[in-house]
Amino acid sequence: MKGLKYHFFIIFLFASSIASYAQIAADSSYHSHLKQYNIKEETVVTATRSERKLSNVAIPTKIITQKSIKQAGSMRLSDILQEQSGLFLTAGFGTGVQMQGLNPDYTLIMINGEPLVGRTSGVLDLNRLAVGNIKKIEIVKGPSSSLYGSEAMAGVINIITDQTTNNKLAASLRYGTYNTKDVNCNTTFSKGKFTFSHFLNSYQSDGFSIRPYAVERTVAPIWRLTNQLHTSYQLSAKTKIDLDLRYAYEHIQNEIAVTNNGIITYSKGNEYHRDVNLNPVITHLFSNKLKSTLRLYATNYNADQNLNTSGNSIYDDQLNHQFVRAENQTDYYLNDQISFNAGVGYVQEGVKSNRYELNSARRTNNIAYVFAQTEIKPVEKLTIIAGFRYDNNQLFAAAFSPKIAAMFKANDHLKFNASIGRGFKAPDFRQLYLNFTNTAAGGYSVFGALEAQKQIEFLQSIGQILSIESDYYKLKELHPEYATGINFGLQYNPNQQIQFDLSFFRNDVENLIDTRLVAYHKSGAQIFSYLNLKNAYTQGVESQMSVKITPQFAVSAGYQYLLTADKDQVKDIKAGKIYTIDASGFARLMRLGEYIGLPNRSKHMANFKLTYENENFFTNLRIIYRSKWAVSDKDGNGLYNSNDGFANAFAQINIAAGKQINKQFRMQIGCDNVSNYIDIANLPNLAGRTFYTTLSYQFYQKNKK
Amino acid sequence: MKKNQILMAMAIVASSFYACTDNTNSMIDTSNNGTYKVYTLNDVTVVQNLIADTIIGTSAQGQPFGTGHFTFFSLKNRAIVPLADSATNNWDVAFRGTTILTNAGTSGPGMGGAYTHVGIFADVISFNADSTIRSDAAPVYAIKTGSNKGWYVYDGPNNLITPIPGRVLMIRGAEGTLYKLEINNYYKGGLTPLTTATSAIKLSTQRYYNFRYKAL
Repeated sequence: MKGLKYHFFIIFLFASSIASYAQIAADSSYHSHLKQYNIKEETVVTATRSERKLSNVAIPTKIITQKSIKQAGSMRLSDILQEQSGLFLTAGFGTGVQMQGLNPDYTLIMINGEPLVGRTSGVLDLNRLAVGNIKKIEIVKGPSSSLYGSEAMAGVINIITDQTTNNKLAASLRYGTYNTKDVNCNTTFSKGKFTFSHFLNSYQSDGFSIRPYAVERTVAPIWRLTNQLHTSYQLSAKTKIDLDLRYAYEHIQNEIAVTNNGIITYSKGNEYHRDVNLNPVITHLFSNKLKSTLRLYATNYNADQNLNTSGNSIYDDQLNHQFVRAENQTDYYLNDQISFNAGVGYVQEGVKSNRYELNSARRTNNIAYVFAQTEIKPVEKLTIIAGFRYDNNQLFAAAFSPKIAAMFKANDHLKFNASIGRGFKAPDFRQLYLNFTNTAAGGYSVFGALEAQKQIEFLQSIGQILSIESDYYKLKELHPEYATGINFGLQYNPNQQIQFDLSFFRNDVENLIDTRLVAYHKSGAQIFSYLNLKNAYTQGVESQMSVKITPQFAVSAGYQYLLTADKDQVKDIKAGKIYTIDASGFARLMRLGEYIGLPNRSKHMANFKLTYENENFFTNLRIIYRSKWAVSDKDGNGLYNSNDGFANAFAQINIAAGKQINKQFRMQIGCDNVSNYIDIANLPNLAGRTFYTTLSYQFYQKNKK
Repeated sequence: MKKNQILMAMAIVASSFYACTDNTNSMIDTSNNGTYKVYTLNDVTVVQNLIADTIIGTSAQGQPFGTGHFTFFSLKNRAIVPLADSATNNWDVAFRGTTILTNAGTSGPGMGGAYTHVGIFADVISFNADSTIRSDAAPVYAIKTGSNKGWYVYDGPNNLITPIPGRVLMIRGAEGTLYKLEINNYYKGGLTPLTTATSAIKLSTQRYYNFRYKAL
C-alpha cells in the first residue's frame, strides 16, 4: 500500500513533466509572460488561481498589505485579521475566523496556495502563523470550492510570503506587556539564477491561554518558533524550480487549580504543536501562451497535550495530521478574450489520535480531483468566469462544485460583479473516527459516524447501554456539508481619493453536520455522534469605504450587517412549537421576531481606521466594534432568542506610531486595547491593555544587479 | 469571587421582581433565598425550593450523590409528605434529582399517572382525551427522564439543567384528581447559576424545585 503510494507520486512527477506557476517572481523570463497578461499594477492570484490585476478580477479579492500589517503592529495572523471588515474571530480551541457568518471550519487557510492542516474541533488556530514575512494576505469571500475543494465553503485566506530577490539582512525586536518578546529575522540572498530567503520568528509570552474543558482560564507561558525557507532556481529561461520549507513549533505551559468540594487539585500541563510544510514547485512556460505548474506538497501537524494532576495518572492527548498532495495546473492563454486553466490532483490525508480507537493506526482518506476554469471577455466591459471542480473521495460521497462569476465595468469609476458558486466541506476525521470518553467530565462519550454503531453495539452486548435514542437509527454515511453562495457587489471610485465597495451575500448551507445524543451509558452518561442534520443560511451586507483626505491623512471604515438562521428552527417557530419564558419565569409562546439565529455571531460589526503618514513617520488609530452575540440558551428552548445569554457589545481601540530614524533604523510603539476592555467568559483571548515597542534594523540591503 | 457575583446577580434579579396576583401568571418570588415555601393565589399554588435530594458528596470516581430518597408531595394538601408514607395514597408527586414519580404502578398504590403536554399553562383547561395517561414502570416513568425528553434539557458542557419552556406536566393524583403543573426552575432560589459559575456552585444549588400547579 505504502509502496503503491510512492509509486504513484513518482509516476505523477515524471509523467507530468510539466510545471507550475510560482509566486509573483520578478524574474526576467517572467516579464514577457506577465506582459502577455498585461500585469503592471497590484495582482492577485487567489480568486482565479492565476495572476490577475486586482481591478480586473471578476471575483472580488481583498488584499491586506505588508505595510498595513506592520503599521498595525501585528505579530500573529489573528492580530491582523481581527481588524478586517466582516471577519469575526472566535475563541475556543484556539483563535478561528468566522467569514460571512460561517464557522471557522468553513474557511480554507493557505500559505502560498497550499492548505494548512491540524484543526481542533474544526478550528485552525490563527495564532500558529507569524506574519513577519508576509508580503500580503488575499481574502476571497464566498464559496470557492470550484478551485480549492473542501473547506473553501465560506471563503479562502491565502497568505503570500515575501520572496523578494534583494540581498537583505533585517531584524526586528519587539517587547511588550506580559513579557511578550517577538524577534524577527529576514535574510534574502540571490546570485545568478539562484535565490534564497529565510525567515525566523520567535514569539514568547506570559500571555493568556485557555485549556479545553477547563472552566478556569489561566495565564500561561507560551513559546512559538517559526522557521521558513524559500529557494528558487531558474533552470532555463522557461523553467523554474521553487522550494518552500516551513517549520513551526509551539509550546504552551499550563498550571491549573481546580476547586471541587473545597479541595484544590493542582495540575501541570504542556501542549506541544509542531507543523512542518514542504512544497517543491516546478513551473514551465511552454510558450507565452501555455504555462504548466507541478506542485508537490507535504505537511504534518503534530499536537501533544499532557496534563499531570497530583495523585492521578498523566492524561495525554495526541493528534497527528498528515496531508500529502500532488497537483498539476495548466494555464492556457488563447487570446485577449479567452483563457483557460485546468488541473488535476491527488491527495492522501491521514490522522492518528489517541482519541480514535487505535492510536497506532493512521486513518486515511484519498481524494482525486479535477478542476477547470475559463475566463471569457465577450465584450470589453464584461468578464465572465466559469469553472468547476470534482472531488472523488474514498471515504464519503463525491463533491461537485461549480462556480460562475461576472464583472461589468460600467465606466472607469464604477464596476459591478456577481457570482454564484457551490462550496463544500468534507466530514473531517474527528467526525468519522472519534472514539472519546471524557472521564474527567462525567464520562460522556463522542463517537465518530463510522464508529458509533460498532461501539454502541459492542457496549450493548456487554450490558453497558442504558437506552438508545431515536437519532441512533438515523446514523448513516456522512455526506459533505454544502453551501450555495450568491454574491453581488459594486465598486465605486469617483476619484483617486475615494474608494467605496458594497456587497451583498447569501449562503444557503445544507447537510450541516451536528452532534446528536444517540444513546446513554449504563451510568447515565450521554453518548453523542455526528449526523448530517441542519440547514441554515447566512446573509448580509458588507461595505467598505476609504478616503484620502490629504496626502497624509486617510480614513477607512468597514461595516457588516449579518443575519443568520437555522431553517428548521424557523419552521418550528412558525408552527408555534417553540416557547420561551415571560417576566414571571413561566412559559409563553415565542415570536419569530425574537429569534436570533445562530449563536456567536454579531449582527453589526464595524471597523474604523485613521492614519497619518508622511515620508518617515506614521501614526494610526484603529477601532473594532462588535454588537452583542448570543452565547447561551438560558431559557432551555433549544434555540437562541432575545431571552438568552449574550456577550456584551464592545469596541476595541488600538493605536500605533512609528518612525524611520535613518535608512537602517526604524522604531514603532503601540498600545492595543487602549480602553482595557476585558470579558473573560466570552473573549478569553483578549488580553487587557497592552503596550509594545518595536525596533527594526536593516543590516544590509543591496538591490539585485 | 464567583460566589459574590452570583449573590449579586440574585440580589439584582430579586429586587426586580414584584408580587403579582394574576391567576395564571403567579410570580416566583426569587427574593426567597432558598427557603422552602408554598403559597396559593387564585387557585394556583406556587411551590418554591422543594428540596429533591440535594447533593451531599462526591464519590471517589467524582460522581456527585445524594441520600437517594425522594421528596414526596401532596398536591391536594399542598405539603411535603413524610418519607414513611411513601407506600400510601397520601402523596401525588415525588422528586429526586431530575426524576419525578406519580403515585401508581411501580411507584405507589394510588391511581396516579401523568403525561407531558406541549403548550401554555394558562391555556390548559382539561386533560386531553387523546393523550394517554401513563403510570410509572421503573426505569420508565410517566414523566420521561433524560435531556429533552420530558420536562428539562441538560446542557452538558456547562453542566446545567433548564426546564423546557412550554412543557406542562398533566398529573393525575393518587386519588384521581387531575392537575396541571409547570416547573419553573431547578435551582436554589429559582435562579439558575451563570454558565461561568464553578462546578461547586452548580452542584450545591441544584435539585431545588420551583413550580406552580392547579387542580383542573
